[in-house]
Amino acid sequence: MSERVLRVAVPKGSLFPESVDLLGQAGLDVTGLDDPGRHLRIRNGDVEFIIVRATDAPTFTAYGGADCAISGHDTIVEAGLEVIELVDLKFGGCRFVVAEPEQAAERVEASYRSLGTLRVATKYPRITKAYHDSIGMQVEIIKINGNVELAPLIGMADRIVDITATGRTLRENNLHIVSDVMESTARFIANPASLRIDRRVRELADTLRGIAADKTPSAPIAGSANPTKS
Amino acid sequence: MLPQTPRGFRDVLPDEAAWRASINDDVQDCFASWGYMPIETPALEVLETMEAAGGVTAKPISLFDSDGRVLALRPDVTVPIARLVASRLSSEEGPFRFRYKETVFREEENLRAQAREVTQLGIESIGLVGIEADAEVISIFVEALAACGLRDFTVVICSVDVLHALIAGACMDGGWERAVLSAYHTSNFVELEELSRAEGVADGFGEALRELPHLRGGREAIEGCRAMMGELGCPQVPISLLETWDILEACDVTEHVVVDFSILTSFDYYTGLVIEAYAPGSGTALGSGGRYDTMLASYGRDLPAAGFAFSLERVMQALAEQGELLRKRTPDVVVGGSDSASVFRLAAELRAEGAKVCITAEEDVAAEAMRLGSRRWCTVDAGTGRSWGGQTDE
Repeated sequence: MSERVLRVAVPKGSLFPESVDLLGQAGLDVTGLDDPGRHLRIRNGDVEFIIVRATDAPTFTAYGGADCAISGHDTIVEAGLEVIELVDLKFGGCRFVVAEPEQAAERVEASYRSLGTLRVATKYPRITKAYHDSIGMQVEIIKINGNVELAPLIGMADRIVDITATGRTLRENNLHIVSDVMESTARFIANPASLRIDRRVRELADTLRGIAADKTPSAPIAGSANPTKS
Repeated sequence: MLPQTPRGFRDVLPDEAAWRASINDDVQDCFASWGYMPIETPALEVLETMEAAGGVTAKPISLFDSDGRVLALRPDVTVPIARLVASRLSSEEGPFRFRYKETVFREEENLRAQAREVTQLGIESIGLVGIEADAEVISIFVEALAACGLRDFTVVICSVDVLHALIAGACMDGGWERAVLSAYHTSNFVELEELSRAEGVADGFGEALRELPHLRGGREAIEGCRAMMGELGCPQVPISLLETWDILEACDVTEHVVVDFSILTSFDYYTGLVIEAYAPGSGTALGSGGRYDTMLASYGRDLPAAGFAFSLERVMQALAEQGELLRKRTPDVVVGGSDSASVFRLAAELRAEGAKVCITAEEDVAAEAMRLGSRRWCTVDAGTGRSWGGQTDE
């Protein structure tokens, strides 16, 4: 088989520095990737890195645009696309929670009793729906793209589902955690076809598995690499 | 406003349609050479009847008819054929070997650039069991993809028996078992690893579960699986896969076949063999199949079955990836002229020789031939008779 270029999608944002480090440790030539400037594609030999928005990493991978990628588990679940989750890379830990305003518990409960549904604001509608389905609670979801904490404070929603690391942003906005939804870390993912026909994808997965096995898991609360939430 | 087709549906223009037909002819010839007979099922089925078979993960496109019944555009062909064998063929004994080319319809979310109409070429082998039946299905899959003109492709096989034996041997509760299956079905091998380390998993079984999706290769992968299962006291589980491999190897089919236990993902109705086919740059599987010995029983007829189907569109994408281009199809000869009866007679003579002939009413026959891309033409006039023209390769 002629060697095609192996295309690896690297998420920009909070996961980026550790992703580059890890790919370097795994033996890939990451020259130029650490400081890509405005470049979106960096080709070193038969490996090409593409720099994608973190939420798009599963999309690029599922459609075969990239053979493999690094992506947060939360992003993979939210995308709902066909990718293969191969390795827990044990960084970028964060936790998904349901939160509501302090002292609102009683009002929210009463509202749920009389209406049979709650309004939940979130950036992650799929995760929010799956979680509430799993606990048998009917909710109406409002998709918001940022500053989700605002929604319950101004009465637009009863609760939110969002990422938290230390819980500080929640506390500063007088929100408290109602329940845990899921935990997430960065994962190495592959396109189904690439995994089966390109041995380099499998080799990279094996190498990364070895590196990750030597790491202690990052504590989901203290060790977060997500700068947008603290 | 420009009139459009619904999202995910498209028209096929003549050159592509001709290419599709020629690929399909080659594939159907291949199926037929193994004794498979063509079969057709309706485009619409009763949704409830389709759902009774279970296992279809594709979301059907459904609608109400004037009787108020909920119908579905067929989301696959396997289930309708199972229905047909259990009903109209209930008095015939079988085994049955069927081949088909059908369009199937699946609902897809917007903004995902997915076709909602897919052309499937496939076979169903019903009433046959054993390593010979499995080897037959795999061999035909390989031959059919080669018949399409694909050079570089991989048919990946494995058996769900191994996973089921490991899950049963782990001695865990139903919740854990469902979680393991779900991790496998969603290809979440990180989750699978966590589940394999759960408290109470019987000795050795957790490790084997972690190992399973990484077992890959030729004969040695099955041998490795057998050794692994042997240590757990069930060495017989992968034996039929090994014996199937031996048949394939003896027939030189294994060049395109790989064993890979990571593919138990697509459906949950498979009962033994699972097959998926991939080509470089295809992104997703070209097609899939396997053995589903319990499906017909859901229609009241207990017959084993196996089969596969692949998407004509994905195969054509893979052909494009390996450099095959859409060829322009042109008539062999263009004929025209003032003496219409003679023009028709000449065209008939040429067709009888096997040529594709276009008759034109244009005065300048040569110009029309150029426009149609034909290299030969003939003008027939009442006075001068036949006057031939042509273009040689530049």
